[in-house]
Amino acid sequence: MQDLITSTINTFDVRAQYPDSDAMNRLENYFKSGDLRAKASLAISANAKSIITKAVAKSLMYTDITAPGGNMYTCRRYAACIRDLEYFLRYATYAMLAGDPSILEERVLNGLRETYNSLGVPIGGTVRAVQAMKEVTADLVGTEAGKEMGVYFDYICSGLS
Amino acid sequence: MSIITSSIKSADREARYLSLGELKAIANFYQGGQDRLRLAQILVANETEIVNKGSQRFWQRYPNTPSNTGNPTFRASCMRDQGWYLRLITYAIVLGDTEPIEQTGIKGTKEMYESLEIPLKNLAECMRCLKEVTTEMFSLKDAAAIAPYFDYIIQGFL
Repeated sequence: MQDLITSTINTFDVRAQYPDSDAMNRLENYFKSGDLRAKASLAISANAKSIITKAVAKSLMYTDITAPGGNMYTCRRYAACIRDLEYFLRYATYAMLAGDPSILEERVLNGLRETYNSLGVPIGGTVRAVQAMKEVTADLVGTEAGKEMGVYFDYICSGLS
Repeated sequence: MSIITSSIKSADREARYLSLGELKAIANFYQGGQDRLRLAQILVANETEIVNKGSQRFWQRYPNTPSNTGNPTFRASCMRDQGWYLRLITYAIVLGDTEPIEQTGIKGTKEMYESLEIPLKNLAECMRCLKEVTTEMFSLKDAAAIAPYFDYIIQGFL
Protein backbone atom coordinates (compact mmCIF):
# COMPACT_ATOMS: atom_id res chain seq x y z
CA MET A 1 0.00 0.00 0.00
CA GLN A 2 0.99 3.62 -0.39
CA ASP A 3 0.14 6.90 1.25
CA LEU A 4 0.00 10.28 -0.42
CA ILE A 5 3.68 10.86 0.36
CA THR A 6 4.96 7.56 -1.02
CA SER A 7 2.72 7.73 -4.08
CA THR A 8 4.05 11.22 -4.87
CA ILE A 9 7.64 10.06 -4.41
CA ASN A 10 7.13 6.97 -6.55
CA THR A 11 5.59 9.02 -9.34
CA PHE A 12 8.46 11.49 -9.45
CA ASP A 13 11.32 9.10 -8.74
CA VAL A 14 10.75 7.13 -11.95
CA ARG A 15 11.08 10.41 -13.84
CA ALA A 16 14.11 11.46 -11.73
CA GLN A 17 12.34 14.69 -10.91
CA TYR A 18 11.52 16.76 -7.90
CA PRO A 19 7.79 16.92 -7.15
CA ASP A 20 6.22 19.85 -9.05
CA SER A 21 4.41 22.68 -7.32
CA ASP A 22 1.01 20.96 -7.66
CA ALA A 23 2.35 17.91 -5.89
CA MET A 24 3.99 20.07 -3.24
CA ASN A 25 0.71 21.86 -2.61
CA ARG A 26 -1.10 18.56 -2.28
CA LEU A 27 1.47 17.38 0.25
CA GLU A 28 1.25 20.60 2.17
CA ASN A 29 -2.54 20.44 2.35
CA TYR A 30 -2.32 16.82 3.37
CA PHE A 31 -0.01 17.64 6.27
CA LYS A 32 -2.22 20.57 7.24
CA SER A 33 -5.31 18.37 7.34
CA GLY A 34 -3.53 15.87 9.59
CA ASP A 35 -5.35 16.80 12.78
CA LEU A 36 -8.67 16.52 11.03
CA ARG A 37 -7.80 13.06 9.73
CA ALA A 38 -6.54 11.76 13.05
CA LYS A 39 -9.62 13.07 14.89
CA ALA A 40 -12.00 11.64 12.30
CA SER A 41 -10.31 8.25 12.59
CA LEU A 42 -10.69 8.34 16.34
CA ALA A 43 -14.39 9.28 16.12
CA ILE A 44 -15.09 6.55 13.58
CA SER A 45 -13.31 3.83 15.55
CA ALA A 46 -15.23 4.79 18.68
CA ASN A 47 -18.55 4.68 16.81
CA ALA A 48 -17.95 1.97 14.22
CA LYS A 49 -20.74 -0.30 15.47
CA SER A 50 -23.33 2.44 15.57
CA ILE A 51 -22.32 3.74 12.13
CA ILE A 52 -23.01 0.30 10.69
CA THR A 53 -26.28 -0.07 12.59
CA LYS A 54 -27.53 3.29 11.36
CA ALA A 55 -26.35 2.72 7.82
CA VAL A 56 -28.09 -0.65 7.63
CA ALA A 57 -31.26 0.84 9.09
CA LYS A 58 -31.13 3.54 6.46
CA SER A 59 -30.44 1.40 3.44
CA LEU A 60 -31.20 -2.31 3.82
CA MET A 61 -33.54 -2.91 6.73
CA TYR A 62 -37.13 -3.79 5.84
CA THR A 63 -36.36 -4.08 2.15
CA ASP A 64 -36.58 -7.22 0.02
CA ILE A 65 -32.99 -8.03 0.93
CA THR A 66 -33.79 -8.84 4.57
CA ALA A 67 -37.10 -10.55 3.73
CA PRO A 68 -37.24 -14.34 3.25
CA GLY A 69 -35.53 -15.14 -0.06
CA GLY A 70 -33.43 -11.98 0.10
CA ASN A 71 -29.68 -12.12 0.36
CA MET A 72 -29.59 -10.92 3.99
CA TYR A 73 -32.23 -13.41 5.09
CA THR A 74 -30.96 -15.84 7.73
CA CYS A 75 -28.82 -14.57 10.57
CA ARG A 76 -25.71 -16.05 9.04
CA ARG A 77 -26.05 -13.97 5.88
CA TYR A 78 -27.05 -10.89 7.84
CA ALA A 79 -23.90 -11.29 9.94
CA ALA A 80 -21.75 -11.71 6.82
CA CYS A 81 -23.18 -8.50 5.41
CA ILE A 82 -22.46 -6.59 8.63
CA ARG A 83 -18.95 -7.97 8.69
CA ASP A 84 -18.28 -6.77 5.16
CA LEU A 85 -19.62 -3.31 5.97
CA GLU A 86 -17.28 -3.21 8.96
CA TYR A 87 -14.40 -4.05 6.63
CA PHE A 88 -15.40 -1.28 4.23
CA LEU A 89 -15.58 1.27 7.03
CA ARG A 90 -12.25 0.28 8.53
CA TYR A 91 -10.42 0.25 5.21
CA ALA A 92 -12.01 3.53 4.11
CA THR A 93 -10.72 5.01 7.37
CA TYR A 94 -7.22 3.67 6.69
CA ALA A 95 -7.33 5.14 3.18
CA MET A 96 -8.51 8.49 4.53
CA LEU A 97 -5.57 8.59 6.96
CA ALA A 98 -3.16 7.68 4.17
CA GLY A 99 -4.77 10.10 1.72
CA ASP A 100 -4.51 7.36 -0.90
CA PRO A 101 -6.92 4.64 -2.08
CA SER A 102 -4.33 1.95 -2.85
CA ILE A 103 -5.09 -0.04 0.30
CA LEU A 104 -8.74 -0.33 -0.80
CA GLU A 105 -7.62 -1.71 -4.11
CA GLU A 106 -5.21 -4.20 -2.53
CA ARG A 107 -7.15 -5.46 0.43
CA VAL A 108 -10.82 -4.92 -0.41
CA LEU A 109 -11.70 -4.46 -4.05
CA ASN A 110 -9.30 -6.92 -5.64
CA GLY A 111 -11.66 -9.68 -6.85
CA LEU A 112 -14.53 -8.54 -4.65
CA ARG A 113 -17.03 -7.97 -7.44
CA GLU A 114 -16.40 -11.44 -8.84
CA THR A 115 -16.75 -12.95 -5.37
CA TYR A 116 -20.01 -11.13 -4.75
CA ASN A 117 -21.38 -12.14 -8.12
CA SER A 118 -20.54 -15.78 -7.55
CA LEU A 119 -22.13 -15.67 -4.09
CA GLY A 120 -25.20 -13.88 -5.43
CA VAL A 121 -24.59 -10.82 -3.25
CA PRO A 122 -26.42 -7.90 -4.89
CA ILE A 123 -24.03 -5.11 -5.86
CA GLY A 124 -26.85 -2.55 -5.87
CA GLY A 125 -27.71 -3.20 -2.24
CA THR A 126 -24.06 -3.12 -1.24
CA VAL A 127 -23.54 0.23 -2.95
CA ARG A 128 -26.68 1.57 -1.23
CA ALA A 129 -25.32 0.51 2.15
CA VAL A 130 -21.90 2.06 1.50
CA GLN A 131 -23.57 5.31 0.43
CA ALA A 132 -25.65 5.23 3.63
CA MET A 133 -22.42 4.72 5.61
CA LYS A 134 -21.02 7.76 3.87
CA GLU A 135 -23.97 9.88 5.06
CA VAL A 136 -23.94 8.54 8.59
CA THR A 137 -20.16 9.03 8.85
CA ALA A 138 -20.40 12.61 7.59
CA ASP A 139 -23.05 13.35 10.25
CA LEU A 140 -20.64 12.03 12.86
CA VAL A 141 -17.33 13.60 11.83
CA GLY A 142 -18.55 16.84 10.27
CA THR A 143 -18.68 18.14 6.71
CA GLU A 144 -14.98 18.54 6.01
CA ALA A 145 -13.80 15.16 7.25
CA GLY A 146 -17.02 13.65 5.92
CA LYS A 147 -16.15 14.85 2.46
CA GLU A 148 -12.73 13.25 2.70
CA MET A 149 -14.20 9.94 3.88
CA GLY A 150 -16.74 10.25 1.07
CA VAL A 151 -13.97 10.05 -1.49
CA TYR A 152 -13.05 6.55 -0.29
CA PHE A 153 -16.63 5.33 0.15
CA ASP A 154 -17.25 6.41 -3.43
CA TYR A 155 -14.06 4.65 -4.47
CA ILE A 156 -15.40 1.40 -3.02
CA CYS A 157 -18.71 1.90 -4.84
CA SER A 158 -17.12 2.59 -8.19
CA GLY A 159 -14.81 -0.40 -7.69
CA LEU A 160 -17.84 -2.61 -7.15
CA SER A 161 -19.96 -1.45 -10.04
CA MET B 1 7.51 3.68 4.60
CA SER B 2 6.00 6.58 6.48
CA ILE B 3 4.77 6.19 10.02
CA ILE B 4 1.25 6.55 8.58
CA THR B 5 1.57 3.52 6.34
CA SER B 6 3.41 1.45 8.92
CA SER B 7 0.78 2.18 11.60
CA ILE B 8 -2.03 1.30 9.20
CA LYS B 9 -0.27 -1.92 8.27
CA SER B 10 0.13 -3.05 11.85
CA ALA B 11 -3.48 -2.12 12.68
CA ASP B 12 -4.64 -4.04 9.63
CA ARG B 13 -2.74 -7.15 10.67
CA GLU B 14 -4.85 -7.17 13.82
CA ALA B 15 -8.06 -6.06 12.04
CA ARG B 16 -8.48 -3.06 14.29
CA TYR B 17 -8.63 0.69 14.13
CA LEU B 18 -5.55 2.72 14.97
CA SER B 19 -5.03 3.24 18.68
CA LEU B 20 -4.99 6.64 20.34
CA GLY B 21 -1.21 6.38 20.75
CA GLU B 22 -0.71 5.57 17.08
CA LEU B 23 -2.97 8.43 16.04
CA LYS B 24 -1.08 10.82 18.28
CA ALA B 25 2.20 9.77 16.68
CA ILE B 26 0.68 10.24 13.24
CA ALA B 27 -0.71 13.65 14.21
CA ASN B 28 2.80 14.68 15.26
CA PHE B 29 4.11 13.46 11.94
CA TYR B 30 1.48 15.50 10.06
CA GLN B 31 2.40 18.54 12.12
CA GLY B 32 6.08 18.17 11.31
CA GLY B 33 5.20 17.77 7.65
CA GLN B 34 5.40 21.44 6.75
CA ASP B 35 8.80 21.72 8.34
CA ARG B 36 10.06 18.70 6.42
CA LEU B 37 8.69 20.20 3.21
CA ARG B 38 10.54 23.41 3.99
CA LEU B 39 13.86 21.59 4.41
CA ALA B 40 13.33 19.68 1.18
CA GLN B 41 12.50 22.86 -0.68
CA ILE B 42 15.72 24.50 0.46
CA LEU B 43 17.68 21.51 -0.82
CA VAL B 44 15.86 21.62 -4.15
CA ALA B 45 16.46 25.34 -4.56
CA ASN B 46 20.17 24.96 -3.87
CA GLU B 47 20.82 21.69 -5.66
CA THR B 48 23.23 23.09 -8.27
CA GLU B 49 25.23 25.01 -5.73
CA ILE B 50 25.45 22.06 -3.35
CA VAL B 51 26.59 19.70 -6.10
CA ASN B 52 29.16 22.19 -7.40
CA LYS B 53 30.63 22.87 -4.00
CA GLY B 54 30.50 19.21 -3.01
CA SER B 55 32.34 18.19 -6.19
CA GLN B 56 35.06 20.80 -5.70
CA ARG B 57 35.67 19.66 -2.17
CA PHE B 58 35.70 16.03 -3.21
CA TRP B 59 38.23 16.58 -5.99
CA GLN B 60 40.46 18.52 -3.65
CA ARG B 61 40.50 15.64 -1.22
CA TYR B 62 40.59 12.82 -3.76
CA PRO B 63 42.33 14.20 -6.84
CA ASN B 64 42.95 10.68 -8.18
CA THR B 65 39.39 9.65 -8.90
CA PRO B 66 37.74 8.77 -12.24
CA SER B 67 35.63 11.94 -12.30
CA ASN B 68 38.77 14.09 -11.92
CA THR B 69 40.72 12.57 -14.82
CA GLY B 70 39.55 15.17 -17.31
CA ASN B 71 37.03 12.78 -18.88
CA PRO B 72 33.90 14.96 -19.31
CA THR B 73 31.53 11.96 -19.22
CA PHE B 74 32.92 10.72 -15.91
CA ARG B 75 32.81 14.20 -14.52
CA ALA B 76 29.21 14.77 -15.58
CA SER B 77 28.09 11.34 -14.30
CA CYS B 78 29.65 12.02 -10.93
CA MET B 79 27.79 15.31 -10.60
CA ARG B 80 24.57 13.81 -11.93
CA ASP B 81 24.72 11.03 -9.34
CA GLN B 82 25.27 13.55 -6.57
CA GLY B 83 22.16 15.37 -7.75
CA TRP B 84 20.26 12.07 -7.72
CA TYR B 85 21.32 11.26 -4.21
CA LEU B 86 20.33 14.72 -3.14
CA ARG B 87 16.91 14.17 -4.69
CA LEU B 88 16.51 10.86 -2.86
CA ILE B 89 17.42 12.66 0.34
CA THR B 90 14.65 15.23 -0.21
CA TYR B 91 12.20 12.34 -0.69
CA ALA B 92 13.39 10.71 2.52
CA ILE B 93 13.13 13.96 4.46
CA VAL B 94 9.52 14.49 3.39
CA LEU B 95 8.67 10.87 4.10
CA GLY B 96 10.56 10.78 7.39
CA ASP B 97 12.06 7.44 6.40
CA THR B 98 15.07 6.10 4.50
CA GLU B 99 13.01 3.81 2.27
CA PRO B 100 13.32 5.85 -0.96
CA ILE B 101 17.10 6.02 -0.53
CA GLU B 102 17.31 2.33 0.14
CA GLN B 103 15.06 1.26 -2.73
CA THR B 104 16.51 3.48 -5.42
CA GLY B 105 19.96 4.36 -4.22
CA ILE B 106 21.42 1.65 -2.00
CA LYS B 107 20.21 -1.75 -3.17
CA GLY B 108 22.63 -3.01 -5.78
CA THR B 109 24.77 0.11 -5.60
CA LYS B 110 27.95 -1.66 -4.58
CA GLU B 111 27.66 -4.16 -7.42
CA MET B 112 26.88 -1.42 -9.92
CA TYR B 113 29.73 0.91 -8.99
CA GLU B 114 32.17 -1.95 -8.66
CA SER B 115 31.35 -3.10 -12.18
CA LEU B 116 31.85 0.50 -13.32
CA GLU B 117 35.24 0.39 -11.57
CA ILE B 118 34.47 3.33 -9.36
CA PRO B 119 36.05 2.91 -5.92
CA LEU B 120 33.34 2.83 -3.24
CA LYS B 121 35.69 4.52 -0.80
CA ASN B 122 35.79 7.55 -3.09
CA LEU B 123 32.01 7.55 -3.46
CA ALA B 124 31.61 7.52 0.29
CA GLU B 125 33.98 10.47 0.54
CA CYS B 126 32.08 12.27 -2.20
CA MET B 127 28.86 11.85 -0.20
CA ARG B 128 30.66 13.06 2.91
CA CYS B 129 31.66 16.24 1.05
CA LEU B 130 28.08 16.65 -0.13
CA LYS B 131 26.91 16.27 3.44
CA GLU B 132 29.39 18.85 4.70
CA VAL B 133 28.52 21.54 2.19
CA THR B 134 24.80 20.90 2.72
CA THR B 135 24.82 20.96 6.50
CA GLU B 136 26.95 24.12 6.47
CA MET B 137 24.01 25.89 4.82
CA PHE B 138 21.57 25.07 7.60
CA SER B 139 21.09 25.89 11.24
CA LEU B 140 22.31 23.30 13.70
CA LYS B 141 18.79 22.02 14.32
CA ASP B 142 17.95 21.67 10.63
CA ALA B 143 21.33 20.14 9.87
CA ALA B 144 20.70 17.53 12.55
CA ALA B 145 17.47 16.58 10.81
CA ILE B 146 19.14 16.20 7.43
CA ALA B 147 22.52 14.67 8.30
CA PRO B 148 21.26 11.15 9.16
CA TYR B 149 20.10 10.63 5.57
CA PHE B 150 23.56 11.41 4.24
CA ASP B 151 25.05 9.10 6.85
CA TYR B 152 22.68 6.39 5.70
CA ILE B 153 24.01 6.69 2.16
CA ILE B 154 27.63 6.78 3.32
CA GLN B 155 27.04 3.64 5.38
CA GLY B 156 25.50 2.01 2.34
CA PHE B 157 28.74 2.51 0.39
CA LEU B 158 31.00 1.02 3.04
